[in-house]
Amino acid sequence: MITAARNYLVFLRRCARIAFVGDWRYYAWMGGLTVIVLLGVNAYAKQLVHGLVVTGMSDEVSWGVYIANFTFLVGVAAAAVMMVIPVYIYDNEELHDLVIFGELLAVAAIIMCLLFVTVDLGRPDRFWHLIPGVGQMNFPRSMLSWDVIVLNGYLLLNVHICGYLLYCRYQKRKPAKWFYIPFVFLAIVWAISIHTVTAFLYVGLGGRPFWNASIVGPRFLASAFTAGPALIILALQVIRRVTASGSATELRGGSDVGEKPGRPATLADLALLARELPEMANVTETDRQRALVGAAVIAVAPGDVLLRQGTKSTYAFFVLQGRVVVKKQEGDLARITRTARPGDQFGEVSALHGTAREATAIAEEPSVILRLPASALNVLLETREMHVVVHTRMTERLMITDRSLLILRGIVQVSMIINVFLLVCEVFKEFYSGTTHGASAKYLFFGLHGHHALVPWIWTAIGFNLIAMVILLLPVSRGLKYLNVACVLSIVGIWIEKGMGLVIPGFIPTPLGAIVDYVPSVNETLVCLGIWAFGLLCYTVFLRMAVPILQGRMTKANEGQPDIQGDEPAAALPAPAAH
Amino acid sequence: MPAPTPTPDRTSDAAMSRRSFLRGCAAFGGLTALAASLAPLRELGDFSSSEEFLQKYYKELTPEDMKKVLARIEREVQHQYGIRPHVRDLRPMDGVEFVYALNLTRCIGCRKCVHACVAENNQSRNPEIQYIRVLKMPHGSMDVEKGDHNYTDKSVPEKGFFYMPVQCQQCKNPPCVKVCPVNATWQEKDGITVIDYDWCIGCRYCEAACPYFARRFNFTKPEIPADRLNPNMAYLGNRPRKQGVMEKCHFCIQRTRAGKYPACLEVCPVGARKFGNILDPNSEVSYILREKRVFIQLKEEMGTSPRFFYYFDK
Repeated sequence: MITAARNYLVFLRRCARIAFVGDWRYYAWMGGLTVIVLLGVNAYAKQLVHGLVVTGMSDEVSWGVYIANFTFLVGVAAAAVMMVIPVYIYDNEELHDLVIFGELLAVAAIIMCLLFVTVDLGRPDRFWHLIPGVGQMNFPRSMLSWDVIVLNGYLLLNVHICGYLLYCRYQKRKPAKWFYIPFVFLAIVWAISIHTVTAFLYVGLGGRPFWNASIVGPRFLASAFTAGPALIILALQVIRRVTASGSATELRGGSDVGEKPGRPATLADLALLARELPEMANVTETDRQRALVGAAVIAVAPGDVLLRQGTKSTYAFFVLQGRVVVKKQEGDLARITRTARPGDQFGEVSALHGTAREATAIAEEPSVILRLPASALNVLLETREMHVVVHTRMTERLMITDRSLLILRGIVQVSMIINVFLLVCEVFKEFYSGTTHGASAKYLFFGLHGHHALVPWIWTAIGFNLIAMVILLLPVSRGLKYLNVACVLSIVGIWIEKGMGLVIPGFIPTPLGAIVDYVPSVNETLVCLGIWAFGLLCYTVFLRMAVPILQGRMTKANEGQPDIQGDEPAAALPAPAAH
Repeated sequence: MPAPTPTPDRTSDAAMSRRSFLRGCAAFGGLTALAASLAPLRELGDFSSSEEFLQKYYKELTPEDMKKVLARIEREVQHQYGIRPHVRDLRPMDGVEFVYALNLTRCIGCRKCVHACVAENNQSRNPEIQYIRVLKMPHGSMDVEKGDHNYTDKSVPEKGFFYMPVQCQQCKNPPCVKVCPVNATWQEKDGITVIDYDWCIGCRYCEAACPYFARRFNFTKPEIPADRLNPNMAYLGNRPRKQGVMEKCHFCIQRTRAGKYPACLEVCPVGARKFGNILDPNSEVSYILREKRVFIQLKEEMGTSPRFFYYFDK
């Protein structure tokens, strides 16, 4: 128990420490974000002193960009499930490694949501009035109390799932299914609920006909499932680029030693492996003898290449001593997908499936490697425990493939079509019926009684959404360049549509028919920027911790070593390809 | 690229001390920047006393607690305005349900009610917060969107228009109460929807929910000239509010629960405003609702069931 607590504390300390380590680009990025955060803090301090009068809000338009951003970000958080559903319900392998990035984004988005509602409060010092038991929570009558519950619940769920999976990976332990799968499924339902509840905040107000429409909930989900995965597509490419260990040319050097003769393996070698891989203990003496047929032990020097991406061979490898790193070429960059230490396997996927090598394995230290032909590996896998451990470790890697981005593209594509369709439904209802309830929509799309503040915004949003939809429908968006353009357009379009296009016009005209325009103030904008910067800062830190763990650079095995492995390549990285 | 094993210069003393020096500089710079960004907080002043911060919910206060709370408020008001107020916690009377009736035939749109209300209820003068909004409406329509909020005619009434003052409708089914996440606003048994200004968190959800534009938010610290302060105060009524909380018409609780008429009624030069106990069959409002042939609950279709009735004489 005490050891477990100590191990966990060491893990947390290493995570915290790695957040402060990086190359100059990392420091520049984090430093820049910190400056914006501090500008936001400064603006908020002014707001705290002088009150919300420093914003553009008024009694007529009593919610502004704070709540608009909040609404948008709840959608981003909810959209993390669009990665989870394919993986856990449809067993999609491509996205498997990437689920955690989606969930971490959800955590960062919820943190931003909570900050946005907090800065919108007139009396943030009284937040404790919301805490059930201590204060007075108007549950279940007030939708806002529902929102408090679902948002905090969603935050806890995602922190638990990400934290647990990463800690297991760090310890090289197979995650206990009962300890996270139920939460994953709960989080799927919960994600839908956070956005539905947020929609109900508006829908429930009978005095605001613009919001009091049952289509708002479905529209929220459709736009969230467009903007969220679009944001993830962009984030994954950034992650892929900045976590590259160098250019692809580095994978061309080194001498191929994977096929060199070596010496025949003996039972003593298998016993050595069993020391690092306890599951070997279950392999019987007879099976061990059978597995030695064709097995060899080779000694390699740093830089030696054991297998090369794209080539074919049927050997699988276990590290007996030293360290081997597996790198994959993606475009013109190379990135570490896995690190093999004593007891770890590599090359097993193509050995078992007879496919070409998916990555290149390079020794990082002088190493001793056990090489098995596919037949010998199959003998070891006859033992159930070995089968389980080898198959579990097969998925312990970090690959961000173009294919996985294209799966997300499919989601964005479909959601965008539904989103635009629902928008058309709403526009039809508002304008064709011609009732006085259409005043807000009239104000939004065409202006009312000489007030046009939102007109340029909404047409920009509609233009962006339509262009994005067309690009997404055309085959050109299979190329990353066009896909990225479509993603950026979708995100900006939906941000406007949901923020300025939904929250603000709900207030205009007022229930007594007055028209008061709303324009966010500079101070208000700075607070928003500060929160966005803080959210990005959080997400960067989460990734800084998660990526080395997923790559096997930071594991319990290298605990206590002076440098956190996984930093060196970034530090030595030549200037990133200009983009 | 072979991954570097720890190289000698990285662990050497010189490099280490240079590193920790840079680290120290970064930490110091960061803290200084944080302090600088927080500098405006020095003006925060009397944002909230610890007593106010820890104060319990209105409905959970014992009579002793309430005494202390009222004493604190009196102290704070005296400190701020130099006037000793009389703050009471007036409770609803048994057998009373207040109702307002407004004669639209008589109202001339002079806005005297608006200003009497501001004076009576210690509303902020800068920016001025008003509970009553008078709409100048063209004859023949009850569509508020046709109303003019900002008419500045030299003399009223203008021919072809009628005037409709709108304030809190004291709904039987108030949307604002339903949405409040912390129960800071509720309906009392005499029909008045009140706000505990010391409990409100300022989320303004009630303001979004109200179909009558009746609620007001203190976007900044209210400003009331000391010589204009009304020292006759009630906890749920006209005591001075703080920055960042909601307020609205409460039928002048400090007057009506002590047997007086609301300020807006008393000042009305044409007698358009009627107020009383609907549970008393002999009250003026009971008579009006029984005998007048046309009376209107504003936005009846909202299902809010206002206790504020508009009627026409002819």
